[in-house]
Amino acid sequence: MGRALRLALVIAAKDIRLELRSRTSLLSASVFAALVLIVFNFARDPTAVATVDLAPSVLWVTVSFAAVVAMNRAFTVERENAAFDGLLLAPVDREILYLGKFLANLAFVLVVEAIALPLFVLFFNIDLGGALPGLLITLLLATAGFVAVGTVFSAMVVRTRFAELMLPILLLPFMVPPLIFAVKISVLLLAGRPLSEVAEGLRFLAIYDVVFVTLSVLLFSAVVDE
Amino acid sequence: MPPDNGHFLAAAYTVAGCIYLGYTVSLLLRARKAKR
Amino acid sequence: MTADLASARRVMIRGAVLTVLGLLGVGLVMVLALAYTPEEINQGLAQKIFYIHAPSAWAAMLSVVLTGLASMLYLWLHDPRIDRFAASSAEVGSIFCGVVLTTGPIWGKPIWGTWWTWDGRLTLTLFLFFLLLGYHTLRAAIREPFERGRFSAVLGIMGMVLVPFIHLSVYLWRGLHPMPIVLKPSAPSLDPQMLRTLLISFGVMTLLYVGFVTLRYGIQLAHDAREAADAS
Repeated sequence: MGRALRLALVIAAKDIRLELRSRTSLLSASVFAALVLIVFNFARDPTAVATVDLAPSVLWVTVSFAAVVAMNRAFTVERENAAFDGLLLAPVDREILYLGKFLANLAFVLVVEAIALPLFVLFFNIDLGGALPGLLITLLLATAGFVAVGTVFSAMVVRTRFAELMLPILLLPFMVPPLIFAVKISVLLLAGRPLSEVAEGLRFLAIYDVVFVTLSVLLFSAVVDE
Repeated sequence: MPPDNGHFLAAAYTVAGCIYLGYTVSLLLRARKAKR
Repeated sequence: MTADLASARRVMIRGAVLTVLGLLGVGLVMVLALAYTPEEINQGLAQKIFYIHAPSAWAAMLSVVLTGLASMLYLWLHDPRIDRFAASSAEVGSIFCGVVLTTGPIWGKPIWGTWWTWDGRLTLTLFLFFLLLGYHTLRAAIREPFERGRFSAVLGIMGMVLVPFIHLSVYLWRGLHPMPIVLKPSAPSLDPQMLRTLLISFGVMTLLYVGFVTLRYGIQLAHDAREAADAS
């Protein structure tokens, strides 16, 4: 068990190191997130709509888009260098390969969110107050949900012609349950409600993650093996 | 006195009917092409 | 299991017959709804859209579930017949979703006052539709049949598991959809004519599903037979 995890981390580390060297994925996703936040800020009428009402939706739209951009880039890099085929030839369990990819993608998206969240607080003048821990947990759980399924789909569409378009099309329905709960939780947290009130929602997100990571681990070999 | 909304009923049945009929026709045409 | 044109023709004919019967059934349901069932006092004639809308939703659900089950079987057995069935069921499911998503708002406008309500069943059907759209897009993008079958199956299984989550998350939101009054354990709150027509409609939609899928399957079988013949 420990060996499997270490192997997955090695695979993840390779991807992360690759990304750190080129930084394209991180950069494009972060710029995109900033763009969305800026546009939303200018698009709303501050006298008509209170920031706090709009904020959770804006945050999660940004996060969703950034996640898709990041995941797309991650697999495109593999494809461009035919590196993925090399990786497949290595005697690695497909489950561990998936975990490695999942962890790497998760790390990418979390970093983008780490950049977007302060911008969000800045542009929208949000007083996070005691909401930060809850929001961070929510971000982690919801992101894990997107990335779990997104990693499998990226592997499927990477060799198709319109890969960048296909990933969001396939992923959209799967982002809905985590998004619905994440937004509801964020609304409550930003309104100052205590963590105990959103516990049930967080539990739902956790269950979603467990189910879809497990399912993805089981199905990944069907995708990458001939 | 029930509300007068019969035209909605007509619209719905027409749309549903067209979709089912249309799909049937498209399937039959594809079947004819495939048989050849 | 090699496809051959002769059996494909037989399947297509069977499918065509069942489909035509199903269509006649739909016509029958509409006639029954108009002439036989009573008019609802508060909702008026528009309530009768229900006799087509709800059973279509059932058929859409059936399509998706069967596609999901077929996907699981395919990953286990790798039988191209199962993949053919899954693709057919998915395509037919899109059609039923289309009917639900068009009749739903047409029903919603006079009854609830708005074209679209983010209520449980309608929203679920919307996302089923997106799932099926994704499924078709994926299949269209992959040439190699075995890879296409595998990938579709993965998507199909994921989609099937997703359905209860969407159901839960949307219902835990808010809902305007009428409470299911047919399946109350004691006595359904519908007039017997309404109930009878509704049950007939459920049967008709199931028949239509079988007809459509059989016909679509036959078409695919014919295509595969032709491709196999060309290749050899």
